[in-house]
Amino acid sequence: MSRDAAPARGARTHRTTAGSRWRGWLRHHRAMCLDSARRLLVHPLGSLMTMLAIAIALVLPAGLWLTLDSARLLDAELEQSATLTLYLEHGIGEDEARRLEATVAAEAGVAGTRLVTAAEGMAEFQQALGLSDALHRLDENPLPASIVVRPRDPSPEVVRAQAERLGELAGIDEVRLDLAWLERLRHLAALGQRVILALGVLFGLGVLLVVGNTIRLAVENRRQEIEVVTLIGATHAFVRRPFLYSGAWFGLGGGLLACGLLVLGRDWLSAPVTALAASYGANFRLPALGMEGSAILLACSTLLGWLGAWITVSRHLAGIRPR
Amino acid sequence: MIAFEHVGKRYGGRFEALANLDFRVRRGEMVFLTGHSGAGKSSLLRLIMRLERPTRGRVLVAGHDIDRLHPTQVPFYRRQIGVVFQDHQLLFDRSIFHNVALPLEIQGIEPREAARRVRAALDKVGLLHREKALPIELSGGEQQRVGIARAVVNKPALLLADEPTGNLDPQLSADIMTLFEDFHRIGTTVMIASHDLALITRLRHRTLRLHDGRLVADEEAA
Repeated sequence: MSRDAAPARGARTHRTTAGSRWRGWLRHHRAMCLDSARRLLVHPLGSLMTMLAIAIALVLPAGLWLTLDSARLLDAELEQSATLTLYLEHGIGEDEARRLEATVAAEAGVAGTRLVTAAEGMAEFQQALGLSDALHRLDENPLPASIVVRPRDPSPEVVRAQAERLGELAGIDEVRLDLAWLERLRHLAALGQRVILALGVLFGLGVLLVVGNTIRLAVENRRQEIEVVTLIGATHAFVRRPFLYSGAWFGLGGGLLACGLLVLGRDWLSAPVTALAASYGANFRLPALGMEGSAILLACSTLLGWLGAWITVSRHLAGIRPR
Repeated sequence: MIAFEHVGKRYGGRFEALANLDFRVRRGEMVFLTGHSGAGKSSLLRLIMRLERPTRGRVLVAGHDIDRLHPTQVPFYRRQIGVVFQDHQLLFDRSIFHNVALPLEIQGIEPREAARRVRAALDKVGLLHREKALPIELSGGEQQRVGIARAVVNKPALLLADEPTGNLDPQLSADIMTLFEDFHRIGTTVMIASHDLALITRLRHRTLRLHDGRLVADEEAA
């Protein structure tokens, strides 16, 4: 009516109308943001339970993800220690061995070399096994000299090709490379990643359901209000807004609790984990979430809460028709 | 202002709530809609509010076929109609002031301007002194006046009322009707569904009489 019947009043009036509408929109956002927070505080225990349910759903995938992330760091460190050992043929003197080392060092893709002479090899062997007496009884040193090669690119495919190439050099008896366990670790990491992704999706759905159920109850409780405001010209966006803010608050609260739980869990586990790693001679520490991780977790949880509310409210609004 | 062109409404494909309604209401007119309960009064009002859509014919309001409104336009259309309900439809968790302010809040009217209009509307229905009260603290007649204040706070060109005096005693009913006549006097088109024949006859306005979903009488004010 008046909208269509209103005479054209020129650009100035129109601009102020748009401006005031924009301010009205912002005002309603602010009001609903505060109002939905206030409603959460009216039932603190119920709100806390919902947030806790969300937090529990978030902690498991987040914790696993952190563990995997630190395992990947460990993996990188291990790759740095991946080496090739070239055993030289018996009877090769120390001079020739040094010449061979120089040849190997000049090869492409070799980051560094170390020559272990037969005598040094024997000394390392004795030290490692504590068999000095038994070995002393041997007439001659049965160990060959060897060259330890540190490859520039530690990825298994490259190292394997390099091993083949180096094995063909004259004077090299055998090439040893220990990649199997590295590859196993890599497969494990890939498996872990998929498991965590699947868990993340499942538990994310769990968060949607938790928020959805809570919001569904809130919508039922405010059914009459929704009917009335729809009758007097509220848009769907207007009706949805307070519930979306509630969902986002639930998500944010759940995310904060999850961060807290992760910190607690890290404190709880860090001492035994460090001790365990130390017993393997590794310097491994449980990872912390950090600022960035916390921000990502909170953003995800808030978004999930908002999305859960959006799905539920949209589904229910279609079913609410003013009498 | 309102034009029904051969409008029919069936529910569930069988029950015929309204059949072949054909009438016009001029801008600024005051019209009573009467008939036995179940005659189709509420259905007719729901069609104008576009809570229902006709199964036959067209409903035109201010020259627009409201069946053609896009769903996103419907809220903006409803903002231009003031509606008074028999059961008031007030929100019991907020004060009288905030109940009346609701339509303005929905439209994002600036709070100071909104407060001014709310007080003007409350003053008009004689409840300015109760603005801080909750609906539950008010009598039935007062609650209905709050409902009327909410319907007119937006200065709608069209005011609809569905049994606004349904639960009130004759004196209060007469007071409420006087309020509607006041709005009619300042140019608002008013349509009131009521089965209070005694009151309607006394007030002498045009009366549309429904029977089993059909328009059986259209009596101009005597």
